[in-house]
Parts: sequence; C-alpha cells; structure tokens
Amino acid sequence: MILHINHIQPERAALASSVVSTLVSMAGGEQIARRILENLNVHLDWVQYKANFREAVTLRRATRGEELLPLIEIGVDLRQLDPETLKDDFVNTLQNLADASRCAQKRVYLESFTPVRSSLIWKFNDLFWQHLPLWETASGKGYEQALPGGKSDANHPEAVADAVADFWTLLKDLENHSQLPAEIFVLEIGVGTGKRAALWLDRFRALDGERGTQYYPRIRFLLGDYSMPSLNRAMETVREHRELTSFLAVDALDPFRALSFLRYKVLSIHLTNVYDNLPTDEIVVRDGKLYFVEVRGYVPAAAATRISEAFGIAVTEFPRTVNRLLEVGPQHVHPSEGARGVAFWRSVWDAIRLEERFVTVQSILDAPLPAGVKPGLLENFVGDGVTNQRFHLSSAAVESFLNTVPLLHPRGYLQVQDIFVTKLEDYGRMFRGPGKLDGSVVNWVNGALLAEVGAQAGYDVHFGPFQYRPGSRTSILYTTQRE
Amino acid sequence: MNLPILPTTVVGSYSMPGWLERLKTEFFARRISKHELDEIHDASVKAAIKDQEVAGLDIVTDGELRRDNMIDYFAERLPGVQTDHTSKKFYYDFYDSVVRGKIPMASLRLTNDFQFLAAFTDRAAKFCVTGPHSLVKRIKDEYYKNEEAFAMDLARVMNMELKELVRAGARYLQIDEPYYSGFPEDIQWGIKVVNTLVEGVDARITLHICYGNRYGKPSWAGNYRYLFPAILEAKVHQLSLEFARRGGEDLELFKEFPNRFELGAGVIDVKTHEIETPEIVAERIRKALKFVPAERIHVLPDCGCLHLPQDVAFAKLKTMVQGTKIIRKELGG
Repeated sequence: MILHINHIQPERAALASSVVSTLVSMAGGEQIARRILENLNVHLDWVQYKANFREAVTLRRATRGEELLPLIEIGVDLRQLDPETLKDDFVNTLQNLADASRCAQKRVYLESFTPVRSSLIWKFNDLFWQHLPLWETASGKGYEQALPGGKSDANHPEAVADAVADFWTLLKDLENHSQLPAEIFVLEIGVGTGKRAALWLDRFRALDGERGTQYYPRIRFLLGDYSMPSLNRAMETVREHRELTSFLAVDALDPFRALSFLRYKVLSIHLTNVYDNLPTDEIVVRDGKLYFVEVRGYVPAAAATRISEAFGIAVTEFPRTVNRLLEVGPQHVHPSEGARGVAFWRSVWDAIRLEERFVTVQSILDAPLPAGVKPGLLENFVGDGVTNQRFHLSSAAVESFLNTVPLLHPRGYLQVQDIFVTKLEDYGRMFRGPGKLDGSVVNWVNGALLAEVGAQAGYDVHFGPFQYRPGSRTSILYTTQRE
Repeated sequence: MNLPILPTTVVGSYSMPGWLERLKTEFFARRISKHELDEIHDASVKAAIKDQEVAGLDIVTDGELRRDNMIDYFAERLPGVQTDHTSKKFYYDFYDSVVRGKIPMASLRLTNDFQFLAAFTDRAAKFCVTGPHSLVKRIKDEYYKNEEAFAMDLARVMNMELKELVRAGARYLQIDEPYYSGFPEDIQWGIKVVNTLVEGVDARITLHICYGNRYGKPSWAGNYRYLFPAILEAKVHQLSLEFARRGGEDLELFKEFPNRFELGAGVIDVKTHEIETPEIVAERIRKALKFVPAERIHVLPDCGCLHLPQDVAFAKLKTMVQGTKIIRKELGG
C-alpha cells in the first residue's frame, strides 16, 4: 500500500493522521487482503468545492476494456470524511472491492462509463445556462453570488479600466503607424450579465473623450454567448451603447464558425470564467503508466428513493425522469407544475456523483486528444519524468482557444480571466475539479497545456495574477504574437 | 525551358508533414543523427517534388523541407553569424543568432540543395532565399549598429551565392522579404539592398512580399501601398504578392504605378484549409488580368504551403492548376 498525501488543511492534519493509522491498523490486522494491499494506492485530497461529485471515500479501478487490472486506488476527501465513520467507510469500500454488486445496489446509475467530457454532468451544465432564470428564481439569488467573493471578477472596475487603457494604447500605436483599421472589432465571449461590456464601453468612451481620439464611434463590440437568457440580459445592460454593440449566438468551443468573416480582424477578445465551465477529459499517470479517466454518473440509492418519494415518482422511473429532465427541460418534466420540475432538477443535481475508472492507454497518443492538438505536443508535455500525476486535458478549452485565435488581428490579443494551473506539477498539490458551482460544473484549466498549444499556434501565452481582489485565485491569460 | 502562358508554381515551401516536424525536433533532442536527418530530408524533398509535378506545376521547388524556418537555414550558413546555442525545444523556433564582426565573404553552400532539386525533376526549378532585410530583423547585430549597413554586407555575400547558384544551373531565383510589410518605413533602403543582392545575377528573379506566414498566420496587416513608388526601382523581374486572402484591391496599384514587372499573383489562400474551387482561382486570375497582361502573370499561392496539411496543400495546388487551365483556354491556349 502506498499513501499519497496530496494536500492537507492544517485543521484536518489530525484527521489525516487518523486515516493513516486506521489504514495501517487494518493492514496489520489483516483486514486488507494481501493481493489488494500490494496494489493499493490511497490518495488523501482536500476537495475545496463544497458541492462536488465525490463521496468521502471513493474507489477507482484500473481497467483494460472490461478486464480489471491490479491497480486499485482509493481517494479520500478529507473535507467530507467523518472521523467517527472513517473506519466503516474503508471497510465498506474494501467490501465493494471484493464484490462489485454491493456497490451497484447502493447506486442508481444514470449513464454507462464514458469519457469525462461526454458525461451527462455537462448536459446538466447546459441545462443550467439555458434555464438560468428558472434556477435563479428557485434559489432566490443570481448565479454570480455563487462565485468566490459573491460577484464576478470580470466586472471589477479597476480591472476593466486597466484593460481599456491598454487597449487604447494599442489603438494609438496602430494609428501612429497608419495601421488602425476603420472598424475596431472587440469581442467578448461569455457575456455574464453584460456588466463587464457596459463598464468597458463606458470607460472607453470616457477615455476616448478625455484624449480626443475619436475611436469610440469606430468600436464594433460583439457579445457572444450560447445562452439566450444571458444575451437578452446583456442586451438590456449595454443598451446605452446600442449603436456599437451586436449580440451573437456563439458556441464557445468554436467561435470561428460564427465569426469567420472576422478572421484576423479582432483586436481584443476577452473571456471570463468560460474555460472553467467547458467539458474536459482527464489523464492519470500512475507508476509511469498512463490511464484515461472514464466516469458514470449516479445518484446514491437512498437519495434517489428520497427524491422519488418527494416528487411522486416510482424509484424505477427515476433514471428515465432524469433523462426526460435533460431532454425537455425542467418546466416540462412535471407537466402540471413547472416549479416542481425545477425543484426536481435541483435535488438531482445536488445528489449526483461520479464513479470513476482508469482505462489504460499504451501511450498518450492513444488518448482522445483535444481537436487540433498534435500528438507529439502532448507527448512532450507529459514527458518522461512524470510518474504520478492526474491532470485535465481541458479538451474544450483547448478547442475553444484554437478556434478563437484565428480571429485575432496580427496585433490583437486574447485575454482570459479564469482559474489556471500554470505548471503541470501543481496538479499534484490541490484538487482541481470537477466541482459544482451553483448549477454549473467547474474545473481548473490546464494553463500549462494551453501555453504549449498556444506556442504551436504562434502565440506566447502568459499568465498574470488577478491583482484586483485580495485572495483571488483568478489569473489572467494573455497572448502575444510568437516570433 | 519553355513555360506555358500563366506559369504555375509555389512560393517556396511545401507542406511540412507532422512526422517530419517530429523527426526534426528529435534531431535537436539528439535522438537521431545528422546523417539520418539528411536521409530523411532527401526522401521528403523527393516526395515534395513529385507532389508538385503531379499537381501539374510548371516550376517546382524543393519544398524547403530541409529548412527549420526562413531564417535559421541561412543564419547557420552565413559566414560571421554565430549561433550561441544550437539546441531548440521545437525545430521551428528561431536560433538566437548574432553577428559580432564584419561579415566576411564566403560561400553559404546552397548549391548542393539546388542541384539535388534539379536532379530529381525535369520541370523548371526555382530556388528561394530569404532576403537581407528579413534576415537583419532576426539576427542580432552587435557590430554594425545600423540595419542598412548590416543588410548591405549580407547582400554582398549572398550576391556571390546567387551567382554560384546560377553557375550550378539555377534559372529561377526568388527573394523572400515578408518583413517589409512589418517595417514599411524601411522600404527605401530595403530596395537598395535587394538591388545589391541581384546585381549581375543572370536569372529570372522574383521578389516575394507578403504579410507574413509564421505559424500559418499573418504577422502584419495593412496594404501594399507602402511599396510604391520605391519598389519601381527594384531590379527584379517579378513581384510575388498575396491577393487571395486579402482580396484584389491592391491590384489597382499596378494601374496607378505603371511598371514593367511580371506579377506573381497569389490566388490560393494558404491560411485556411478550405480548398478553393477552380472557378474561384480562375476568377482571381481574371481580376489580375485587368491590370497586368497574361504574358506577365505567374500563378501561385499567397505564400508557402508549409503550414498546410499535405492533403490540403496538394489539393490546393491541383485546384490552382485547374483554375489556370480555365483561363488559358479562355485566352485561346
């Protein structure tokens, strides 16, 4: 047995110690079979998202197809773990290991094993953004209140003012070289409430007026989002700048598809908290061997029973009702009463968990790579020195990045405010998701991989701290043209 | 060698296969030897020549597949230019090359690569060199302290090399100067340097000027107006310019500034994988014909095909040839 203590909060150090002594005591008391002990890895983590997809003690098996491989991993969330029940939790987990059917009886599965990015949790994520007003009405608060600090970093006035000042400087430089285009395109993807766009345009108009440069009327500010409720809300927020703004249904995964007419024309592209909300896959390296993470969503049987009873559904109908929710939306799942559909949605989302398995791959080249990533790049990225690591491929973020940069003017830049892991080794120091943020999914973004991908696409990718809110974990990614 | 009307060619580079990129990078990681890499290059160049021939081009190149990028191939050959660190993480990265003294006169040893090309094709063969203006923008100068003086010395050395290439049988030479578009204020001395470079070189010489193709994207924006009237003094036969991606508006400049140049008309957008139709190509040629007579037009892509996947590059070249044939037919050819 190998214990990996990945992260401990000081106040949980004693609990970590209890976990270790309990496991050692169980091993010494021969409560763990020798063949299991030889292949057992226990990872102690701190899952910082209060709402997430894990139980306190989670079993993960390595597989080749349906064949089970020797590697056994137990994940322990020190945040959720109850000191009183930890031994029972381990005993139960080890019994599940011996008899997989025990586990199945305690869970209502909602899907078969699938790569993380294809899991139904992303359908829930879509549901949240498409029916945001229903969720907010039910929760009684706007989604931004779920963010750390209770509001979006996107709307920080100082951050916006600095961004505007930098942009004005770029325009002035272009003008000095007689290269300022007649129309100045600015794009924001993921519009939130529209507040950042409004702040940006207010500030730009003021600065332009102060400096007498007459750039403001040439601005073409495009707001792109796939959520119609968000676009409608943003439209109202920026109404004062109606003449300069356009609202477009844009898939964050492929902005180029909707905006190809702006190839090499956009001078500034901004995204806040978009990448952390896009589907991702995960790669696991254990003892130098590579595994691809597959998951299947489930609701604990007790929770499924409780929810079914509360909403008058037969337990056997529970999975079908969840599918119906995802297909037709919360207002139709309970035909006579829309609000009950929303309540059902919220209850299921609260209860949903992910069972994980590690599917062996011969090389990183066999893993499903994000579209546009050359295999050699990922091979070099992981390198030979990595023997134990679990990291996001940030599949959709990479895809989005690669489908966004072709819009950039040669002097233009992309700025992304988000939570980035900027060095691969930092993945070992903290749990990076997936977590639940209100009704949406959140993952840290593999910034180190984005930097490699960026370099291959001709952009140097830099990260700076978001210095405007003390304690913020947000970073700002920005691109410069690579020589 | 007689060429048909509206001869077709590439700007220089052909598609760099992903596997070749990996092998080139492996060389820098010391996992394959120089001898192995040379053999790989030979095989790749033969394939690139064959692709161009099958696509139907009238003038072919070696695809520039031996080159890591448009600078280092020359930087490591130019006498007096030093590269302090000859390792790279990725083959396409630039060396940190520097000149610390006056450039001496010595050979760049380019003729072998031309002769290899000529030995494997019966078509007309073109050899391309990066121009001095572009080279001085990437090679650090610790001696001249003056870009024009540095470029002029490079031009003198490279002039000797161009004459060597002519002696080796080169009839079509091309000078690539994309950095003009990034530094339009240099155009006056940039043209003087080109004239030194080509002085006494007995070949058909093309000057290629685009808006950059590093990583398959433009490095600069703008229009070709900055070239005029300075470019009219250039002692070259042909200007190769990009019109497919940027549209043909700048063709008007050929009317505004009457000149004797042939036009290498870029009719294939190399920055998109979308393959043009022959009719689109034909339409782009028709547009050029409004400003330059057919006997002075060559048909080519906007820039090198380096960053296009092989199947896309091949299909685009085939389409370019098919589109050209439409116009030849219209012209009664």
